[in-house]
Amino acid sequence: MAHFEIRNLTFSYPASDTGTALRDISLSIEKGEYVVLFGKSGSGKTTLLRHLKSVLTPYGRRSGTVFFNGIPLEQVSAYDQAAAIGYVMQNPDDQLVTDKVWHELAFGLESLGCDQKTMRARVAEMACYFGIQDWFHRDVASLSGGQKQLLNLASIMAMQPEVLILDEPTSQLDPIAASDFLNTVRKINLELGTTIIITEHRLEDILPNADRAVILDCGAIIADDTPSKIGKHLHDQNSDLFSAMPTPVRVFYGAYGRGECPLTVREGRTWLSHLFPESPQVKGLPAEPAKTPTAVPALSLKELWFRYEKNGADILRGVSAEIPTGSLYTIVGGNGAGKSTLLKTICGICRPYRGKIRICGKPAESIRPSELFHGCIAMLPQDPRSLFVKKTVRAELEEMSADQAQIDHVASLCQLTSLLESHPCDLSGGEQQRAALAKVLLTNPQILLLDEPTKGLDSFFKSAFAEILTSLKARGITIVMVSHDVEFCARYADLVSMFFDGQILTTDTPRRFFGSNSFYTTAANRMSRHIFSMAVTAEDVTALIAANREADLS
Amino acid sequence: MTHDALSNRHPAVSFLFFMLAIGFGVVIQHPAYLLAGAVCAGSYYLLLNGRSGWRMICGLVPVFVLLSAINPLFNTYGATVLFCLFGRPFTLEALLYGMVISGMLVEMLLWFGCYSAVMTSDKFTSLFGNLIPALSLLLVMVLRMIPGFIRKAGQISGARKCIGKSASEESGVKERIADGMSVLSALMDWALEGSITTSDSMRARGYGSAPRTSFQIYHMTGQDWVLIACMATLATAVILGGEKTAAFSPEIRIAPLSFGFATYCILLLIPSALHIKEAIQWHISRSAI
Repeated sequence: MAHFEIRNLTFSYPASDTGTALRDISLSIEKGEYVVLFGKSGSGKTTLLRHLKSVLTPYGRRSGTVFFNGIPLEQVSAYDQAAAIGYVMQNPDDQLVTDKVWHELAFGLESLGCDQKTMRARVAEMACYFGIQDWFHRDVASLSGGQKQLLNLASIMAMQPEVLILDEPTSQLDPIAASDFLNTVRKINLELGTTIIITEHRLEDILPNADRAVILDCGAIIADDTPSKIGKHLHDQNSDLFSAMPTPVRVFYGAYGRGECPLTVREGRTWLSHLFPESPQVKGLPAEPAKTPTAVPALSLKELWFRYEKNGADILRGVSAEIPTGSLYTIVGGNGAGKSTLLKTICGICRPYRGKIRICGKPAESIRPSELFHGCIAMLPQDPRSLFVKKTVRAELEEMSADQAQIDHVASLCQLTSLLESHPCDLSGGEQQRAALAKVLLTNPQILLLDEPTKGLDSFFKSAFAEILTSLKARGITIVMVSHDVEFCARYADLVSMFFDGQILTTDTPRRFFGSNSFYTTAANRMSRHIFSMAVTAEDVTALIAANREADLS
Repeated sequence: MTHDALSNRHPAVSFLFFMLAIGFGVVIQHPAYLLAGAVCAGSYYLLLNGRSGWRMICGLVPVFVLLSAINPLFNTYGATVLFCLFGRPFTLEALLYGMVISGMLVEMLLWFGCYSAVMTSDKFTSLFGNLIPALSLLLVMVLRMIPGFIRKAGQISGARKCIGKSASEESGVKERIADGMSVLSALMDWALEGSITTSDSMRARGYGSAPRTSFQIYHMTGQDWVLIACMATLATAVILGGEKTAAFSPEIRIAPLSFGFATYCILLLIPSALHIKEAIQWHISRSAI
């Protein structure tokens, strides 16, 4: 008997002009299976997941049935559903209810009316399993995003669910916390046999773990197969969802590979080794020409030192950099290394206690704050929502500028024209990011600072975002971006810097930079570095394979 | 958080102690009792806060002096005139009464200082969670929301600063108010949106599907019961142990001290004694290694 069985589920939201949210979905999920649900934002993933738990099911017109262990879901009591079906949502912060870690762990058990003895045992068990014992007594406010999401997971696991449903659980986390979290989910699936149903756009990390991948598009299932075969469906359908597949998959189909599709870097390396038993004729792509420094750099940082408290540790320890005008300059580095602080220092929110900043050749101190933020420099914060204060996107933009022509222009540049009348909170993550960017652009900045702009964006929004950045660059705007997203940096940046220990250690063009790293580099590079040099994106590797085929033929 | 003997006991023990100390402190106006109370509160405060506690205590001295001197300036009752100020008599009775009132204030400030260090919010809620589960959950949620609100407000105004949209030093009152209002409205939107997720998350974890129980992280031990019994006995002895009245008008009449005073001192010294006892034990056991 299937654990979950969805039969001909069709659903549409009330008063929606967008049509049906789910169209004739039929899906059966076995006990202990690990199923990845994947699709663009707005394809109905969340709507489908919410139908698997009655208290979360949205209101609207519905036909079809969901069976849980063979019983229609609405006949399973709320009490049984609460314990048996665990549901982890996207936002780590808002899901927490109480102020202490131990209390949060016990919350579900308290709601179910467990007795003290059971609660104590379960809470202790979960705290140990998830490694929470060290922060058991802490305030939840003092936890990092990754710890919060782990706590959400642990407090659900304390109720011993049979199924765990996760709705983009890692979209707000940095890559390291995200892969920790996904490893824990994997461990739960393997060690406890809990059924996992997860939506994610970080497919590189989870596709190799999954038993099955289900792909949704516009509310309908367009593919349902094992992870190693799912890429073929998408490639054959010529779907734009293919661009979200892990790098090895994209290289494999991009190069018309034959046999079993590689999913991980290791499998990708093996496949490439078979493809090129001897050293290939074309070994690498040419490195980009070194960026010639512009006469006056847009930004020049000299020996910046900064700390937040008088007796605190130094966050910036002598940062020096020259950022050429009209380039996309990205800064990569570990978590909490001080990258965001560096951006704040550049735009004058934090004052360095030593060192010099020159903006377009002028010393930063000589520019008044009113001039600095009008037509000179602007920063897009990590959470775009912190910029929204009005009821519609149009009102947001009008707050910044009275010039209607300029607003229309920026709105069309940021692909917002159809969204102008929506409430900013109703937009999806990618749309919010673009609306916030539009707001920032209305200050006419010459230098744009971006703090983790690709966090939580799926691959389609990322490429739309990259397009906007490219057109901004074409107008001579300098973009400084801090990011965890090495794939994005490798593909679109002009210069990449490594930030470590409060300093910028190395700066180079993406191919030289990632080509010479062995750990802090892209999946494409890790997969191909034993055969090719300087190949840092899936496109690079595909191009090199094609070039070698041609060379072999001639 | 300092290591303190009373803090490590069950919250019921700490709560009972503070209720007794603060209750007696407010009710009894006898100068000797007040002095004993202030000394015990002060010494416990110092044990809890270490060297930084002296700052608070030094700060309280001028408060005490000032408040004591103010009463005789406004009240002229009493038979013993010390001197005349602005043509009004400055009496010993009024001065003493002022000292009693301000001494009581100082004692309360010290006890509440200790209270907030020992009885953290989670102890309070865990103590009363079983009596009023819905209310204590509400309290916990509010306690979680406040720091979140402050953090988000900071985030919003920081983000607005980076696009030149915040009130700076040059801007006028009107602009500042307008800026504050937009931050506040954004905060409200944010909070409403968050609360939908929070309520989903609560219902997803079975909130409202069964009568709630409350997880007890603290457990009563034998020692806790002994301490509670001791405190109850001492408190009864204080109540029964002789008169504790003091009158300052028209003349000073202070009841003589009886064994009630001794029990009062013992009661108030319990936390300090426990603290010192554990410190000595720790020292001995460490030197034995």
